[in-house]
Amino acid sequence: MKANEIEQQFLKLAKTVQTDERVPDGFPARMMARVRERHALETRSADEQFLRFARNLPTNEHVPYAFEKRIMAHLREWLSPDPLTLWSRMLWRAVAPCLGVMILAVLFSANTPADMSVGQTSGELETVDFETVMLASFDDLEYTW
Amino acid sequence: MQATETFPETDVRTDEELVRIVVGGDVDCFEELIIRYQPRVFGMARKYFRNESDAEDVVQTIFTKTFKKLSSYKGTAPFEHWFMRLSVNTCYDALRRKRNRPEHTISDMLFDDESWQDRLGNIPDANDREGLEEARELVYMVLGQISDRARIVLTLQELEGRSIREITEITGWSESLVKVQAFRARKEMRASVERFLMKEKKL
Repeated sequence: MKANEIEQQFLKLAKTVQTDERVPDGFPARMMARVRERHALETRSADEQFLRFARNLPTNEHVPYAFEKRIMAHLREWLSPDPLTLWSRMLWRAVAPCLGVMILAVLFSANTPADMSVGQTSGELETVDFETVMLASFDDLEYTW
Repeated sequence: MQATETFPETDVRTDEELVRIVVGGDVDCFEELIIRYQPRVFGMARKYFRNESDAEDVVQTIFTKTFKKLSSYKGTAPFEHWFMRLSVNTCYDALRRKRNRPEHTISDMLFDDESWQDRLGNIPDANDREGLEEARELVYMVLGQISDRARIVLTLQELEGRSIREITEITGWSESLVKVQAFRARKEMRASVERFLMKEKKL
């Protein structure tokens, strides 16, 4: 038998042997654990590396030109505000008390017992009084002309 | 004739003396305090705010607040501690206000020329202003992904090397809160770094 034939026969035989695809017990878990370990190691080293990098960067302590003058000017301005600012500040402060007084006045007027006359409600009386007062000057004018 | 030794008159006043003078009514002396502390305050503000005008605004707020609250300084602790506490708290407040306006996304910080990890390995030279600026931007970007409290603690602990006790004094937070925030900060920072790496791998 020639060498070439032996080789052919061997290959034929080898092809008939089935592939052993059995997986050892716990192999995927072991593999995943190793992958995770490797990943954690890479990440940990990256964050350590980042910290080292950040720590070694020189701090930029440069101060803009005449910055202290700028702040002092701002503080002096704050210490002596102009009258208009003071006035507006006072007005703003007066808003809350004024609102309070208004609400109290509304509540007080709503709770005051009405002065009822015979046949007329207080609302009607007020309307008549209001008209008399408002039109008093026009009445006078009629008499003059 | 007896030689008399003359010493240069030292007019270096302590912080506490300056505070007393300012509270007493000599407002101009506050300028000396500003000159003394402004480099440190700017250095600190730039760790939290990338934008120069934001940093300037915060520093101005810090000094204005200091001036307004100066009369409440009792002098029981060094002025520096009191001042640093006020500064850190002002930065924290400003950070919280700014939180609603994100400026960059992760993809903005991915580099075409070199990988993210390569960049971390090369700390730029002190004269390389552009490189330093890019590096600061990178740090700012990663820390920008972390919650404000955790970021304050991480900066004080990991970048400035302060102890938990010092952080407690500076922030006014309880020791347990600082410890919790320190733990959370590391976790959030790891997640932030991981996000960058994952994004880079996907590209």
